[in-house]
Amino acid sequence: MTKRYGNVTVLRDVDFDLRSGEIHALLGANGAGKSTLCKMIAGLTEVTAGGMRIEGDVYAPHHKQAAESTGVQIIQQELNLIPTLNVAENLLLNRLPSFAGIVSSRTLHRQARAALDRLQLDDVDTYALVSQLGVGHRQMVEIAAALARECKILILDEPTAALSGSETQLLFDQLSQLRDRGVGMIYISHRLDEVKQIADRVTVLRDGRHVGTETAESMSTDQMVQRMSGEVADERSDEQPDAETRQRATTSAVSADESDRRNDSTVLTVEALCCGMVRDVSFQVRGGETFGIAGLVGSGRTELLRAIFGADRAESGQVCVAGKAPTRFGHPSQAVAAGLAMVTEDRKQNGLLLQQSIRCNTSLSAMIKRFSRFGLIRPAREATVAGQMCRAMETRCTGIEQSVGTLSGGNQQKVAIAKWLTRDADVFLFDEPTRGIDVGARRRIYELFDELASAGKGIVIVSSDLDELMETCDRIAVMSAGRLVETRERSLWTEDAILQASFAGHRTKESQRLTGT
Amino acid sequence: MKQKLTQSFLQYAGLLGVLVLLIAVFSLSSKNFFQTQTLVTIANSNPDLIFVSVGMTLVLIVAGIDLSVGSLIALGSAVIGVLMVRHEWSLPAAFSVCLLVTGLCGLFNGFVSVWFSIPSFIVSLGMLEMARGGTKVITDSQTMYIGSRVEAFGEPLQWVPLSPAFLVAVMTVIAGQFLLTKTVFGRYCVAIGTNEEAVRMSGIRTAPITIAAFMILGLLCGLASLSQTSRLSSADPNAAIGLELSAIAACVIGGTSLMGGRGSVVASFIGVLIIAVLQSGLAQLGVEDAIKQLITGAVIIAAVLLDALRVRWGRRSG
Amino acid sequence: MRHFLLPILFAVAVAGCSSKSDTSTAQSNSADTNERPKVALIMKSLANEFFSTMAEGAKTHQSQHADEYELIVNGIKDERDLSRQVALVDEMVAAGADAIVIAPADSKALVPSLRKAINKGVVVINIDNQLDAEVLASEGVTIPFVGPDNKAGAKQVGDYLAGKLAAGDKVAILEGIRTSFNAQQRLAGFEASMKAAGVEIVSSQSAEWEMAKANSIAASILSEHPDIKAILAANDSMALGAIAAVKSAGKTGEVLVVGFDNISAVQQAIRDGKILATADQYGDKLAVFGIETALQLVNGETDQPSDVETPVDLVTAESL
Repeated sequence: MTKRYGNVTVLRDVDFDLRSGEIHALLGANGAGKSTLCKMIAGLTEVTAGGMRIEGDVYAPHHKQAAESTGVQIIQQELNLIPTLNVAENLLLNRLPSFAGIVSSRTLHRQARAALDRLQLDDVDTYALVSQLGVGHRQMVEIAAALARECKILILDEPTAALSGSETQLLFDQLSQLRDRGVGMIYISHRLDEVKQIADRVTVLRDGRHVGTETAESMSTDQMVQRMSGEVADERSDEQPDAETRQRATTSAVSADESDRRNDSTVLTVEALCCGMVRDVSFQVRGGETFGIAGLVGSGRTELLRAIFGADRAESGQVCVAGKAPTRFGHPSQAVAAGLAMVTEDRKQNGLLLQQSIRCNTSLSAMIKRFSRFGLIRPAREATVAGQMCRAMETRCTGIEQSVGTLSGGNQQKVAIAKWLTRDADVFLFDEPTRGIDVGARRRIYELFDELASAGKGIVIVSSDLDELMETCDRIAVMSAGRLVETRERSLWTEDAILQASFAGHRTKESQRLTGT
Repeated sequence: MKQKLTQSFLQYAGLLGVLVLLIAVFSLSSKNFFQTQTLVTIANSNPDLIFVSVGMTLVLIVAGIDLSVGSLIALGSAVIGVLMVRHEWSLPAAFSVCLLVTGLCGLFNGFVSVWFSIPSFIVSLGMLEMARGGTKVITDSQTMYIGSRVEAFGEPLQWVPLSPAFLVAVMTVIAGQFLLTKTVFGRYCVAIGTNEEAVRMSGIRTAPITIAAFMILGLLCGLASLSQTSRLSSADPNAAIGLELSAIAACVIGGTSLMGGRGSVVASFIGVLIIAVLQSGLAQLGVEDAIKQLITGAVIIAAVLLDALRVRWGRRSG
Repeated sequence: MRHFLLPILFAVAVAGCSSKSDTSTAQSNSADTNERPKVALIMKSLANEFFSTMAEGAKTHQSQHADEYELIVNGIKDERDLSRQVALVDEMVAAGADAIVIAPADSKALVPSLRKAINKGVVVINIDNQLDAEVLASEGVTIPFVGPDNKAGAKQVGDYLAGKLAAGDKVAILEGIRTSFNAQQRLAGFEASMKAAGVEIVSSQSAEWEMAKANSIAASILSEHPDIKAILAANDSMALGAIAAVKSAGKTGEVLVVGFDNISAVQQAIRDGKILATADQYGDKLAVFGIETALQLVNGETDQPSDVETPVDLVTAESL
């Protein structure tokens, strides 16, 4: 079996082959293109150029159903079960055994039982509602659902993230059985020890490129990490088309960086903060400092920012802003009053009022503080400031009355940031500030970091773009599995080291688990 | 300034067009329609619906809904009736208690739906039944005749044939529009209806704003109770059944979005006038009941359609 | 500011045209006397067969006497839409009606607006549901009631039923909407005849004139009091709801049901013996009686407005 691709922006000229009866691990850092590759194989996104063949036949699925009918199944990170239906109905949802539209309950549960028994899930009742199951069991049911259908190729995207050690072992047994039956499997995981344990071959992707494919035995986990981060730096940068523009875009930031703007006052102190998966995180940010947080997707970075900002209630720990008394914020309004500002990761979901004008969005957070008197809006001042912000941020728009939903991604992000600039905050939290925006907007946002730092503000940036962190930050911390594992001055980091650290939490967890059982 | 005026006229042009068209059609087909008497009658019969529509617009803008308004009006007027007839209270005192009761009911609707994240549809549906039941309990399901002591608010004035109720309703419309467009509260309402999570993440507490919108609607129901009670000179426990649907229809005709974030009090007011003119005109013509319903439904859809077309046309040319 | 002009403009517009046509109503009324007089019939819910029959009767009468008067018929969407009925009175006055014949949805709340109509020179006749005497007195108006004596009618039905029962038997009553005069009168009639026969009323509840509601209430009464011998319904719709409940309780024939109004739907039920009796108050003629009385007053044939009692007859399987 061979599949070929070429010239997709997130994925360039990747050759990938999967043999029947093998488990093929797919490794790579954030945005390396693992998920994209799998989605193309599963028919969730279309291939831009190149093609695939299964057993010699041309394979070009246009949607998931087409892929499934060819025998390709995918198990994604997000669970796709319907919580209000029972286990049996979920397992056989798209082919309920029925006669004249009436579901035959006995056949349904018999077939479901058989599917579960294959995974030795004796303790799962087919009549139980999915909402009554724990996360681990749900994951297992989902895997059972995929296995229940006849498949030749099975794609598993982080299947063990929610599983306990024994469940993982059970899953691995099943995968081994499937391997013996000749099913080809693509296995994505950040847990490198698991990969060592189960995979036959390993393919490493980096920045959308195929780095290498080798047998799992011939590779140590350290070698895997090295491959993901790239041993030879030059090889990568001279081939990257937009690296130069990006470099040019950020020269001003870099040059200004030379003179250290950091002052001695601490503007943000986070102490032993715990919230959901965020465990015991402590750090300090000084005035004029840009503090980066790196880590894998799902390592708890967004959750950390939300906990600091009071969007989620922290369980324990303290946050202290600009010398005020340390507290834990119970609501964003308290954080904002204390001098925090947060530009959220998903600007459409919780950053902007898309249907409203630039003017409304810009004035929102500082409405009471700056744009009203006795509860009445001061329209002239509001319009003036909104106009100023548009010019300062170089927002491309027809005017301040244009609705934000009609702006491009980069300009939307500028408005989302402008909303906080109107309010004089001491510390700015940015979650993925340049995701999905154009080079021009990115340049303007980097300049802005610079301006804020010069004004003595504290800046915290969460980003999956390591280049971005290396270029803009004074210090970078790495988060892994909910903990800050390492913090260093920017000059003491290499991308390789950051990546190594990103996997640190998973590896300790894994070894703990192995010694524990 | 001139441009702004044209703009604001255009904003309501579709709705006003429908209204003028309706009046023209009825004037041509019924010789007694285009007369002060008729127009005054329409104005004086509908202040309760106007009051409720102003509040309903606010609640719909924060992406809520309140189905209990009809029952709240009945409850408010029952309170007035019981206090004035059985306990010989004066009107101002009885009215104050009425406002207190309906305001608290609105507060309850808002508080329960916001605090416990229950859809306001369900909470207010419960309130609809509770308030109606409460009304029947305190009146023993009997209409309370109060007489001339309450009539003044609903009777035409000496110098102008409009009732104080209607004039107060018009002032409420103006105040409502002012609240919505010129105050921080109004701006927050629109923002919450557009994207509540974004407003929360901007450091604004959304709960008190949403609850206040429901409470304002409750208080306006109290005013509607007074206007209805004075028009009927009695407190009727079966009053205003189904009024919530007329109020929601008026708001939607006026272009208020049921998804929240968009709406205008003035447009809802025009919506009320359209419904009222339609009802009254068809009654004067003595049209069959079934045909009346057919026409009313069709006009509601036509008005909303026209508004949608205007928005689409405006977007294309703008 | 521009948004606020609009309501003001409307108010001013309405107020503005008042000065030039203050006397228009009077003028149009007098102008109309040269033509045919205009009679406005204001009904309760026309979805209710009893009222639609009444309205049909009026329309038939008008088409036979087309040269004598003009007729506008309006109803409200359900029995309880009081506010709309009050608005209808105002609107009919505005439309230049010479006479209003009304079946009031409420015996008290309609009086003030009818008083205003009378003060504008409109003849008002009350049919179907008699207005409250106290309220009429306190408003200082007399409005003639043209219609049957509901209490006497209900007593006739009750007495016929009592003939089939023994003293000490238990019965239940399904009342109409308690605010309505008719409901109160019929209840009084039923109670009087049951008392006279020594029959015990174990339950008396309002089903608000509706079949579905009557059905569920009757069903719960039957399970609460399995020993009742009869159900007295204050109208035929509720009687139909009651016989369905009796049937599903498996007591057809054991529990007698009586109604009121003699709508067409119950006639078969009476022939089949499912309903024992009802009262015919000649629904199709009720509005016509009212219109005729109104025309007499408008045309000046009488100037003494007084109540007119119309006939009520007992309907049983024998009489059909």
